[in-house]
Amino acid sequence: MPQENKPSSVPPKKDKQEARRDFLKQSSAVMALALAPPLVLKAAQHDEAIAAVFEKMPVNLEINGKKMQLSVEPRVTLLDLLREQLALTGTKKGCDHGQCGACTVHVNGQRINSCLTLAVMQEGKKITTIEGLSSGDQLHPVQEAFIRHDGFQCGYCTPGQIMSAVACLHEGHAGSPEQIREFMSGNICRCGAYDNIVNAIMDVKNGGQIA
Amino acid sequence: MNPFSYVRPNSLKAAIDAMARDHSARFIAGGTNLLDLMKNGVTLPEKLIDINQLPLREIRQDGNTLHIGALVLNSNLAAHELVKTQHPLLSEALLAGASQQLRNMATVGGNMMQRTRCSYFYDTSMPCNKRQPNSGCGAIGGINRMHAIFGASDNCIAVHPSDMCVALAALDATVLVAGPKGERRIPFTDFHRLPGNTPQLDNNLAKNELITAVEIPTHPFTKHICYLKVRDRASYAFALVSVAVAMDISDNVIRNIRIAMGGVAHKPWRLPDAEKALTGKAPTSDNFRLAANIAIQGAKTYAHNGFKKDLAFNSIQTALLKAATA
Amino acid sequence: MKKQQTGQPMNRVDGRLKVTGGAKYFADHQPADMQYAALVCSTISCGAIASINTTKALRAPGVADIVSHLNAPPVPGYKKTNPGDKNGLQIFRDNRIYSNGQPVAIVVANTMERAVYAASLVEVQYNQETHYTNMEASMDKAFQNNRMKDYSRGEINAWQKAPVTHSAQYTIPLEVHNPMELAGIIAHWTSPDTLTLYAKTQGVKSVQETIQELFEIPEQNITVHSRFVGGAFGMALRVWPLEIATILAAKKIRKPVKLVITREQMFTLVGYRPNSSQTISMGATADGKLTGITHEAVAITSPYEDFTEGIVAMTKFMYDCPNVNTRYQLVPLNMSTPIWMRGPGEATGSFALESAIDELSYKLKIDPLQLRILNHADTDPERNLPFSSKYLKEAYQIGAEKIGWSSRNPAPRSMQENGMLAGYGMSSGTFGAYRGKATVSAILKADGTLTLQSAAADIGPGTATAMVQIAADVTGISPDKITFMLGESSFPYAPEQGGSATVSTVGSAVSDVCHTLLKELANLAISQVPAFKQTTPEQIIYEDGQLITADRQTKITHEALLQQQKLPEVKVTATSQGGEERKKYSMYSFSVHFAKVHVHPTTGVVRIQHIVSVADAGAIVNTKTARSQMIGGVVGGIGMALTEEAILDHRFGRFVNNNYADYHVPVNADTPPTDVYFVNKKDPYINPMGSKGLGEIALIGFAAAVSNAVFHATGIRVRDLPITPDKLLHITSTENTNT
Repeated sequence: MPQENKPSSVPPKKDKQEARRDFLKQSSAVMALALAPPLVLKAAQHDEAIAAVFEKMPVNLEINGKKMQLSVEPRVTLLDLLREQLALTGTKKGCDHGQCGACTVHVNGQRINSCLTLAVMQEGKKITTIEGLSSGDQLHPVQEAFIRHDGFQCGYCTPGQIMSAVACLHEGHAGSPEQIREFMSGNICRCGAYDNIVNAIMDVKNGGQIA
Repeated sequence: MNPFSYVRPNSLKAAIDAMARDHSARFIAGGTNLLDLMKNGVTLPEKLIDINQLPLREIRQDGNTLHIGALVLNSNLAAHELVKTQHPLLSEALLAGASQQLRNMATVGGNMMQRTRCSYFYDTSMPCNKRQPNSGCGAIGGINRMHAIFGASDNCIAVHPSDMCVALAALDATVLVAGPKGERRIPFTDFHRLPGNTPQLDNNLAKNELITAVEIPTHPFTKHICYLKVRDRASYAFALVSVAVAMDISDNVIRNIRIAMGGVAHKPWRLPDAEKALTGKAPTSDNFRLAANIAIQGAKTYAHNGFKKDLAFNSIQTALLKAATA
Repeated sequence: MKKQQTGQPMNRVDGRLKVTGGAKYFADHQPADMQYAALVCSTISCGAIASINTTKALRAPGVADIVSHLNAPPVPGYKKTNPGDKNGLQIFRDNRIYSNGQPVAIVVANTMERAVYAASLVEVQYNQETHYTNMEASMDKAFQNNRMKDYSRGEINAWQKAPVTHSAQYTIPLEVHNPMELAGIIAHWTSPDTLTLYAKTQGVKSVQETIQELFEIPEQNITVHSRFVGGAFGMALRVWPLEIATILAAKKIRKPVKLVITREQMFTLVGYRPNSSQTISMGATADGKLTGITHEAVAITSPYEDFTEGIVAMTKFMYDCPNVNTRYQLVPLNMSTPIWMRGPGEATGSFALESAIDELSYKLKIDPLQLRILNHADTDPERNLPFSSKYLKEAYQIGAEKIGWSSRNPAPRSMQENGMLAGYGMSSGTFGAYRGKATVSAILKADGTLTLQSAAADIGPGTATAMVQIAADVTGISPDKITFMLGESSFPYAPEQGGSATVSTVGSAVSDVCHTLLKELANLAISQVPAFKQTTPEQIIYEDGQLITADRQTKITHEALLQQQKLPEVKVTATSQGGEERKKYSMYSFSVHFAKVHVHPTTGVVRIQHIVSVADAGAIVNTKTARSQMIGGVVGGIGMALTEEAILDHRFGRFVNNNYADYHVPVNADTPPTDVYFVNKKDPYINPMGSKGLGEIALIGFAAAVSNAVFHATGIRVRDLPITPDKLLHITSTENTNT
């Protein structure tokens, strides 16, 4: 199963030593040597180093208001954690290099590209994704404005656009259409819905409905 | 990405010690460039040392200098009241770079440490002396529209991609670094290197040293400033050429001036001769043209970047004029 | 009273799913025990694989298998062709390498991170051969494909004899569709001859058909899901080798396998708009009547397929000109195969044609808009047929008025605003208005809701929304009670979403099936409900989910009718396609684009200030989503005009800007306020709605409008797209402006 981290299943707390022992139980040091790439072989001179390379690390995150105690490999990005392990697939991968904005989420209220940060680096942070933006059935005003102004076509960049738009309004960067265009330029829309996106944000701005 | 181990030290000393024990390790702060490089297989650290816990997030005025912690985010720096009022050039340059999402992640130290955007550096299937010493420079005989016109060598014609650094070079900033032997200070313009025979080295930071802060002396450059960035699209693109200008004008005389360029060299490119030529002169189009002419002396172009010399010549004048009339 | 639903700016029926992250694109699905795949791609451009060393990769943690030509399960369909035939890239059939980036192996592991890392450990040795990727240097290989023969009417090269002539070469670089959603697929063999796919496609039925041909398993054993598609613009019009590679890997490991390719791989694995070189020559009388046009085009293709598109199509009928001849040749290079990209060949051809007309207008000293009107083709000069509808002149007029064309000083480089050189340009575009064959089923439930099903696609235009509006108009059922389901291969046949034909094709079938449904209900009422006994289906009024007698004295709701008869549902199916009308009329949509630009006098930076685009696309079904399609085409056109160019290093045959940072698709700040207008008059012949297509004409011609505006602003003619700042730098060398 790829979805090893279920939001509901909090792994039992283990100290580091215990986790390491678990690892070594699962695949003996000898096996690890036989399976390991050269990089790891080099590190494998000390069992602590093997463990460090293979081991998952605990990380505590609050995602969409839910506290989660998770266990991830250090190389897992926040984006891939959300999508592949927590099934929060609203956040999209468009480039995986911080060049398109489809993966935009809020960390402690600030918009960031979730593809360019490791999940383990977000220890203790509050993450909000598109799934956590609306409360129940009530859409966020920006979501409603995007529907009203047709601020999308295919919809793939939309979660990122909306998370970015909400932050843009909060930052005070929605003062004029020109300012919105500049501060929303980190979110590419290949369908070209920009004019409608600007109108949607202006509409919320003028309606004063920033939740 | 290759597998790696991850540690999160709580003190500067612990961070530097962690690096000392493992030379394939890398410090990570924002991660916006490092993770990008790791995904492309350009950098393959076996250990990441997350420095985000370190107390390097302060912006404060210390007498005649503005002290900026290395972990200050680009977005926070651009929006900081002290920066906006005392060093608006820095604020403008920061906002010309990347996107708000990336500025919310990228730190001051990380921005300085970001590596070139040269395509040959990024593609591990093509030659690059910076990535793989002695493999050859792909850009010199290849596609070099984005490449350097100043200070390049036969080994490397890559450019440094930062906007922030161009402003810091113009503003006579100083870099504070900490290492196993304690702290040292490096003038900003000496921080980054020219490629020479060792293009693999972007800067003069030793492997186990860590940037802790940048300091900017108090300047009179609060009004007549301009950061002009010419790029292929209106936003979210690296510079073809950028020009940072800050000047102090009184009685129609330029009392003091700083000019630096981005997108033209392996490091932020300060223009001391053009500055000298304009100091004590009137801010006129003729004088600006003269200075621009001095600035582009020694430019060396390649098959596709010949336009950069003309663009630099024009952009310097345009930026000077904009700053003078600001 | 019955409110007409078509023509309204109805919100998208799936808008809520799209703004909440609830819309599931292919990669969002997670079948149980799903494995992850990553591709190993060729780093040479021509030659053969000598060896593949997978030892290290197979030892990496979590790796399930590595599949290549050495161990791939057989593809039965490959046997129908010989290696080397022009049948496309038959992935893993043999060790030949035709282009850089060609997949050579697929690695499968139990996490994405592990698959990607293991792929980096696969070592491939090649026997390299000389490759060719440079079109200009390979013109000796140019040939003509049988699908695209020379065309002529009247005298060949008659333009040469004209009193006023213009002849120039126009070049367009390789452009990449680059939809936001990365390509890939999830493949799962649930039994040795049963396959389930979650795909990114513009047509689930064509995927089913391709897979059936290749794997020779029954059609009903192939299930393709593709409800949401994150943009495609043409790149998802076929099954690509990367999808076959994933299906093969899934077959081998007998688990679901997901592949999502990288942005870099989007440049080499899923097609592109081929780079092209066109020469347009035209002649006119001194008073501006065209006497001859010659259009010669060359574009690239792959070694293993001849890709053709309508580069010279528009030239043949756009203007009333007695003498026209065209030639279109292909140059095969060590590249993957191109695929139609929004506005396909016409977008390429229109840049040349509409730039040339503009250039000629300055030579003639006739307003470029006026020159177009002077040579307006009232009937189709290529086919000698009347147009089914053509309101191009109205479109010209609307656009000219809205942009303020009359306030333009016609002299180049004569206008300045805020220190910027200002210019206005315009152009026209056209694309065939097609109608294919589609089948739709309609299920009316006893609760009064109507569900329509067809294997159509929605890559963004809002297919389901338009279909609901069409169905609402025909049936009189409220739109909120109608659901249109698409993107499932188990639904009745619909063609791929392409060529601006979905509303015309599927919409007609929706209209037909709704009429069939009404007839069924009417017959039910006539036979079973006393008050309706004396009436005929044609006399019945269908409103608000009710059947009403002509005298409006008796009403019965659909619910009541079905409940009375104890029917849980009424289901009907209808197939619909065009008929003889297509032989009697030429059917085209038309567009007009006006652009106002500013050019910075010293840096050469172009910023578009205002755009007015007008479409003659027949009756508009949804004015909101139609506007979105138009502004989207315009943004694509901005990219084509100003920013997009995929650059190869021919020494290696590798792209140097294969990412979103260096291949510049327009960002929000590149786009100005855009005004869209529709002539919005029904085409009387094409289909029941009177709607022609919109998706392509939104982009076709746009790049020329910008280029023409840049010329007007600067006096510099850029015939080589994109118009980047470096190409306008020399304004200053001839200038007299102050900064």
